[in-house]
Parts: sequence; structure tokens; C-alpha cells
Amino acid sequence: MSFIPGQPVTAVVQRIEILKLRDGDNLILGFSIGGGIDQDPSQNPFSEDKADKGIYVTRVSEGGPAEVAGLRVGDKIMQVNGWDMTMVTHDQARKRLTKKKEDVVRLLISRKSLEEVVRQSMMQR
Amino acid sequence: MPAEVKQEQSPSNQTSLAMMQEPQEVVEETVTIEEDPGTPTSHVSVVTSEDGTTRRTETKVTKVVKTITRRTFQPVILTESKPSTPVPPSTPTPSETKPVTKMVKTVTTRTVRQVPLGPDGLPVPEGSSPLGSYTDSIDRRYMKNGERFITPQATSTLTRSYNNYSDSYNDTPDTQFRHYTLHDGYGDMPDNYGSLSRGVNYRPYRPYMPTGGYRPENSYTLPIRKDDYGHVAQPQVPMGSSTVDLNRSQPERFQPEPYGLEDDRRSLGPEDEEPYDLEPDYSTANRRTLPGRTIREPLRNGPRVRGYEDPIEAELIDERHPYIHGMYPAPLAQPERGSMASLDRMGGRRSPSIDSIRKDPRWRDPDLPEVIAMLGHPIDPVKSNAAAYLQHLCYENDKIKKDVRQLKGIPVLVSLLDHPKAEVHRKACGALRNISYGKDHDNKVAIKSCDGIPALIRLLRKTNDMEVRELITGTLWNLSSYEPLKMVIINHGLQTMTNEVIIPHSGWEHEPNEDSKPRDAEWTTVFKNTSGCLRNVSSDGAEARRRLRECEGLVDALLHALQSAVGKKDMDNKSVENCVCIMRNLSYHVHKEVPGAEKFQDPSALQAPGSAGTQRKKKDDAGCFGGKKAKGRKNGEHDKNYDTLDLPKRTEPTKGFELLYQPEVVRLYLSLLTESQNYNTLEAAAGALQNLSAGQWTWSNYIRATVRKEKGLPILVELLRSDSDKVVRAVAIALRNLSIDRRNKDLIGSYAMRDLVSNLPSGQQRPAKNLEEDTVVAILNTIHEIITDSSENARSLITAQAIDKLVAINRTSQSARETKAASHVLQTVWSYKELRNALTKDGWNKTHFQPIAAGTPKGSKSCKPGYDDTTLPLMEKSQDGYSTIDQRDKDSKYKSSDISSDLQEREPLKNDTNRKHYIRSNRPTVSLVDACDVKPQPVDSWV
Repeated sequence: MSFIPGQPVTAVVQRIEILKLRDGDNLILGFSIGGGIDQDPSQNPFSEDKADKGIYVTRVSEGGPAEVAGLRVGDKIMQVNGWDMTMVTHDQARKRLTKKKEDVVRLLISRKSLEEVVRQSMMQR
Repeated sequence: MPAEVKQEQSPSNQTSLAMMQEPQEVVEETVTIEEDPGTPTSHVSVVTSEDGTTRRTETKVTKVVKTITRRTFQPVILTESKPSTPVPPSTPTPSETKPVTKMVKTVTTRTVRQVPLGPDGLPVPEGSSPLGSYTDSIDRRYMKNGERFITPQATSTLTRSYNNYSDSYNDTPDTQFRHYTLHDGYGDMPDNYGSLSRGVNYRPYRPYMPTGGYRPENSYTLPIRKDDYGHVAQPQVPMGSSTVDLNRSQPERFQPEPYGLEDDRRSLGPEDEEPYDLEPDYSTANRRTLPGRTIREPLRNGPRVRGYEDPIEAELIDERHPYIHGMYPAPLAQPERGSMASLDRMGGRRSPSIDSIRKDPRWRDPDLPEVIAMLGHPIDPVKSNAAAYLQHLCYENDKIKKDVRQLKGIPVLVSLLDHPKAEVHRKACGALRNISYGKDHDNKVAIKSCDGIPALIRLLRKTNDMEVRELITGTLWNLSSYEPLKMVIINHGLQTMTNEVIIPHSGWEHEPNEDSKPRDAEWTTVFKNTSGCLRNVSSDGAEARRRLRECEGLVDALLHALQSAVGKKDMDNKSVENCVCIMRNLSYHVHKEVPGAEKFQDPSALQAPGSAGTQRKKKDDAGCFGGKKAKGRKNGEHDKNYDTLDLPKRTEPTKGFELLYQPEVVRLYLSLLTESQNYNTLEAAAGALQNLSAGQWTWSNYIRATVRKEKGLPILVELLRSDSDKVVRAVAIALRNLSIDRRNKDLIGSYAMRDLVSNLPSGQQRPAKNLEEDTVVAILNTIHEIITDSSENARSLITAQAIDKLVAINRTSQSARETKAASHVLQTVWSYKELRNALTKDGWNKTHFQPIAAGTPKGSKSCKPGYDDTTLPLMEKSQDGYSTIDQRDKDSKYKSSDISSDLQEREPLKNDTNRKHYIRSNRPTVSLVDACDVKPQPVDSWV
């Protein structure tokens, strides 16, 4: 999903709601993120556009809350509880996801496979 | 393959291996300047005699001497030669064959996500902030080129001297006096020396003597003088005789303070042997103006005088007449007059023609023994006049200096330093300054052996007279150019110079209290002289460095002065240059020499740093993106050095020598590198970074990381385009040391390669810059360091079209050292199997990458056995790096000196034998934005 600077971006997004798992004092989401505007985007194996500094899901623990909720490795996180995640540093993203007060995070993610599905369905029409 | 391996270990390599030391701090170069900074100082002093009747003006000429000695130390730092060949092994290892999985880094211009954060080190094509800074520098750069970079300096110098000259002319007839007496030249002076000025010259001398009636010379002298100097004399001064033989590659103009010793050389010269034939040394001004003046008439011994053969004389004399009467009667004995009279007489003797005109047979110069005897005259004015006259006689006249020495005049002068009367010790000081200048070290030794140094220091403590202080510090500066005296100066004068001059003039205060505003440094002559002296002595080896580092307040004050220079954007002057050079010298070997340094030794450095870092990294950080765990290990080094960088907590403010290597200084040096137009300053600042980033201790890790964080890499890279050879060289070596840090290495590989390569000669014809051999070798070694252990960087080397050049150097260079360095690089490149395809596609084959004259052990008997420490005599080094001799000569000269080049070729970090076995083919590309500015940031976090 590349886009032109300054132009509105259309993305196919999916909502995912993850219920955090409480483990003692910790709340666990069960996935890891990579990326952020302070990271080297070219190292991101999941992005199509190697300049994309978005936050990506890099690992999902088996049987964890994220997997249960349908999150997959390679998903790009667009929003967390309504907060934009496409222009944040890695650490900001992490903090946003790990608020102790919040038991639930609602993600807006985009996924290549989703886009393709949509595209195909549009072409069929 | 085996064959290759063999080659790599060809005998020559092996020998070098043994010495594999790292050049980390390669250059410590001390530029020593000895100079009599003040240039012609002439003073008019009006003395009122005891009886109050007479006033006279005395003029004294102080000559300016500047000598700069620059020495380069090639300290070889050995990090135990770790077993590494310059070339990675060619044995196939699994990792080598691994496919390159590195991601393609796409640089786009998309700005949507742009962050204000700049890239961490180098200019990133995208990104606004980086661009900004980059542009800035480009501008500057542009300017440099446009104006040859030199202009500003030149101008300033010019101005300064210009001022000096005019000043001196202004208030003192001094110089003129000098001309008249000493320099023969009036008669045959070409036209630029206007008759007018001559007249002027002459006049002052006369008038002051006998009667009090001082003539208003000023009114007319001034303008003319100025003109003269303005267009003619000044510009020529420097270059001509003095600097030429200095091998210094100083592109810059006049250089009032070229390199110390050299200058010395110039003064020494010709006079001794054929005093009359060579023009070099009589008055600076005249000499230069008169290129054509060759004929000199023989002078009488002692003071040399030229006859006046032209009309002007007549004129002068007329003017003078009234005074002459006055003088005649003056007998030596008469106190007031006496001293003067002696001078007069000399004058008379000198210019026979004048004499004849005057028709006074009694007019006679005192001869040297008489003058020296007068130094002991019971009457103070006689003493001071005799001293002043000596000063004048000695101005750039080595013969006279020698005579004075042999006549035991120096101890007498030194004893006058303790004379209570200001006039007396001032004049004595002036004479000593002139005597101390020059290549003839015996004069310096003579001053030292009669305890002149402590006497000077005593006087420095005692006097508040600025002029005297200038003379003292100028003398000390001169003395400090002679190696054996450096320690003596340190022993007697270090703390005094620091307390009396450096600290007060730097604006630094021990305990700043609230009400006093922080003060800026004042760039006074005294400060310049003193810092020049310290700059010289700071090059005297480990012990000298230790003393300076531990001298209370010195480092603090120097740092303060430099900071205020940066603050005021006044970074091109000599004082700043001196300060930076001192800092650079003191930074040399800090990691070994500073008390308690052992505590900071990087433990992982002892056992192969590369691998240690690697393992650790692997453990805690699997890499940015989970899928690529393998990547993590490649980042070992940087991780260790940077990501976990946390400075030791400081309980109290740092002071003293610790300031030398605090990461905070990085910003200072980078500011200097960005702003200064003075090549010496640039070189010294780059050298300081080079010294600080060498070695394996905690602080050098910080420094390397800090340079990156402060965005210093682009600044350095840009200086690779400097017009100045030595700046390029210092920067190249600094980059090499910086690339000990893994991330720096990646960044430098990605962004500096093109500039490094563009400095290489292409084939036989050298690039426009025509860099010296040393520089080319330094660049090659830096390239080698960067591509070692990084196939990615080797790849960018190939993309930078370097192979052509390398092969050309390898095949055709006249220089054995260049050839060798190039050959090492080529072998390293070829050792990356994954690159061979690309190489073959470009038409290269294995033979191109093999050493040409495989194993020509050219360097086995070297004329200079490597620079083992800092104590090389200055002159030796000067033949080395800085000579301006034709490249070929040099090359041939170097044929035999391969060893030293070997030292340089070694790189610091080769220690891990295993390391060779993996090639970081899939090492992640460098992130454009360094991950963390403050604290390490996770690249991949579980949530």
C-alpha cells in the first residue's frame, strides 16, 4: 500500500479487538511489534514499501490473546484505540499498546491479503 | 583458493602482521609554532632622564619570528597484534556462501512520515533535518572552493601584519632604524621602496638620538608606510624565502606562523656564510620588496651598513642636520647621552657616505664587544640602550646572534631580566627574543644554560607590563621549538604560564560566582604566544602530556577558550589553532596514559570485541523484525557500543584532564570542523577526534557513538572534499578509527565511500587535488578498514567505481605504500565470494585482485623504523608527511620505508579469528535514523 504524499490514503483495514491476558502484574497481548518512525524501515520484511515506517506485527505467540483475536504476523497496525500508529516511534506504539489501565485494545490493522481480497472482489464486479 | 590464501600471507604481509598495530591514533601532530609572534614590535619609548632634561625616543625592533614545527607522531598503538591478516580468509565457510538476504533499502522522497529526527550519522537523502545540515555544509564548502578556502585567513593575516607594520611604523621609527642600520639596502632598492619612505625610515632614527626634539614623523610616515606594506611588502613576505623550504604543505598564504622549525631554518641560513649575498634575512620588509637587489656592498664588521648612494641621502641628511650637531659632542660618558651616543656612533659608522657628508670622523659604531660590555654599564639607560641595540642587531641575523653568544652576551642579558627597571628588563627581553629565534639551537641552549628560562618565568610572574609579557612569552615560544628545552620549560614554567596567562585570558574561572558573568577568551598576543609555547611543549612525549594534563586549570581553561571561540564564531585565529592543537596532543593516548585508565579498559576488547558483542547481541535482541533473527548478531558491535551506551554517573563535575575525553568535547570539535576556515585548526580538530576515538576503552566507545549522535559523520565526510591535504588525511584516519564502532562502519560505508574513492588518484594522473602519498595511503587504509568484515561496504565500494582506481593504483602507482595499501583493499574485496559475480560481470578477474608484485618485501629495511612514539624529532617527521617535494621523488624515497606504512595499514579491530568466517551478508542496513537519541530503544518489543 504505497501512497503519494499529501494524498489521502485508502487502505483496507480490519478491526481487531484483543483482550489482554493478565499475568500477575503484567498485561499480555501476545504479539510483538517492529517498526516506527525511529527505526530503519528497510529492515522491515513485511512492508511492501521499504520506506514505510509503520508499526508491524512481527511475531504472534501461539495461543495468545492476539492470535485468538485474529492478529497475524505482518499485519500493519494503523490505529490503537483510535490513536494513529502510522507516525509514531516504536516506543510510543509500545506504550500505547501496553496501558495498564486498559484491558482491551482495539486495533485497526491492514493486511496485504485483505487488500487483495478486496481488489479481486472489486474487479469481479 | 589455497593459492589465494597464500598470497595473502605473503611474506611481506607477514612481517607486517607481526607489527600489526593499529594506527588508531595515527597522527599526532604537533604543530609547533615558534614564533615571535609579535612581529615587529617597535616601541617608542620616551625616556626622561634622571635630570629630566632630555627625552628621547628609543626604538626597538623586535623581529618576528615564527616557526612552526609540526610533527606527526605516528603512534602506533598496538593492540596486540591480533591475528588477523589484512585480508579476510578466503576459505569458504558456510556463512560466506549464504545468500545475501539483506533487504533493499529504498530511499524514497516520500515525506509523509518524515520525522524530524535526522539520520544518525550521515546525510540521508530523505529527511528534512539532515538535508538541512547537509546543505549548510555544502554551502560552506562551496565557498571554500570558490574562494580557495583560504581567503579569509589570508586576509586576516594580512591584516594583522599589516596592522602591525603600520603600527610599528607609526609609533616607532624603529623599523626604519633597523633598516637603515642593518640592512644595507637602501642604495639599491628598487622603486617600490619609495624615496619617500626611505626618507622616512631614515629620519626617525636620526631625530631621536641626540636631542630631544623628536620629529613628528608620524604625520607623514604613516601613510606611506602603509601603502608600502599594503601592496607590496606584505604579501611577499611569507612565501618567498621563509616558507618555501618548509615542506609544509601549507597551501595557505603567508602564514606568518608557518611551521616553527622551518622558519628557523630560514633564518639561519645564508647569513652565516655569505651575509651579504643573500637577501633572505635582513629586514623582513625590505627584503621582500626588493627582489632585484643583489648587489651589496661589503660592510664593516659588526653592524652592517650599507652606504647610501642616492640622492635621498642628501635629503635625509639635510633634514637631519640640526640634530647632528647635537650629537656630536655627546660623549659616551655622559649618562643621558651616552647610551644614545653609542648608538649614534654606530649609525655613523655604518653609513660611510653619510658620514662623509656629515664630515664627522668621530662617528663610529661600537663593535659588538663594546655593546655587550655596555650591558653591564652602571647606568641603566646605557644598559637598556645597549640591549635594545642588540635586539636590533640580532634581528634575523644569525651571525650576530652567534657572535653575541660567543662573546658571552647571553648570560648578561639574562641577568638583566631581573633588573628592577622596566626599561632594562624589557629591552633585555626583546634582545633575548630575537636571539632565541632561529634555527640555531645553540642560542636557545645558551639561554637555557644560564638559567634563562626560570628567569623569564620569574619576570612573567612579576611584571604586569603587557609588552614585556608579550616579549617573554614570545621568547618562550621560540625556545619551545627546540626539543630538548621542552621539558625544561614545562618544569619551570608550565604552571606559571597557565596561571598567569592561559587561565586569565581564557575567561575561565575556577569558581564562577553568580555575579560574575562568564567571560569570553581574549585573543591577546600574550595568549597566542603562550598557547604556542604550550603547543610546542605538548608534543614532547608521554611525560610532557602527563604534566600538561595534570596542570591545574589548563585543560579547563583551554576548553573554555575554545568554547568561547565557538560561541563567538571566531575560530580562525592562531590562538584557537594553538589551543586545538594542544587539546589534540593531550588527547593522544589518553586511554593509556591517564591515571586510572585501566578501569575503563573495555573488557570485551581484550577478548575479541567483535565476537563478544555478537554473542551478547544475539542473546538479548533478535533483531528488529522477528523474522530475521539471524540479523541480530551482525549488529553486535554497535549494540555494545551504542545501544547500551550509558555514561557513568558523575558524582561531581568533571574537571582537569577528564574533560579531554568526555563525550561533550565531541560537539566542540564538530563545531570547529564545521565552522573553522583554518586548515590547521580543522586538521587538529579532526586529529583530536581521531585520537579520542582510538583505542579500546569505555570512553572511546562513547566518543565514537557520540560523534554519530551529534551528526558528526556527515561533517567529517564532507571534509574529505577539503582542498587541504592534511585535513583530508586527518579526517580519513579519524573515520577509520570511528569505524571501530560497528554502526559507524555501516554508515561510513554507505555514505562516505564515494568521497573516499573520489580522493583516490585514478591511474597515473592524479585527481585535481593531487593528494600526497600519505593521504592516499591513509584513505586506502580507511577503505580497507571499512570493507573489512562488511561485504555490504565492499559492495558500495564497487558501486562507487573504486575498482578501476584501485587496480590502477595497484598496477601503476609509483609508490610502494600506495600499491600495497591498494592491494590489500583489492584482496579484501575479492575475498567476498558473493561479490565475485558482480565483479566478473564488470570484466574483472582474479588476477586484478592479486598483489602485483606479490610479496615484494620492499619495506624490510626501512630508513625510519616506524614511529614508535611521540618523541620523534620534529624535523624528521617533516620530511615525511609534509614535504612538498615532487611526488616522484617522494615515492622513491619511500620505497624503502614500507614498514611505516604497514603500521598504518593495520587496523584496529582485527582480532577475532573466527570473525573471518562469517561474512555479514545479511547484515541489516543501517537505519537512517539512529534508533535512540537518549536511551536505547527496542526495535522489536513484545506487548
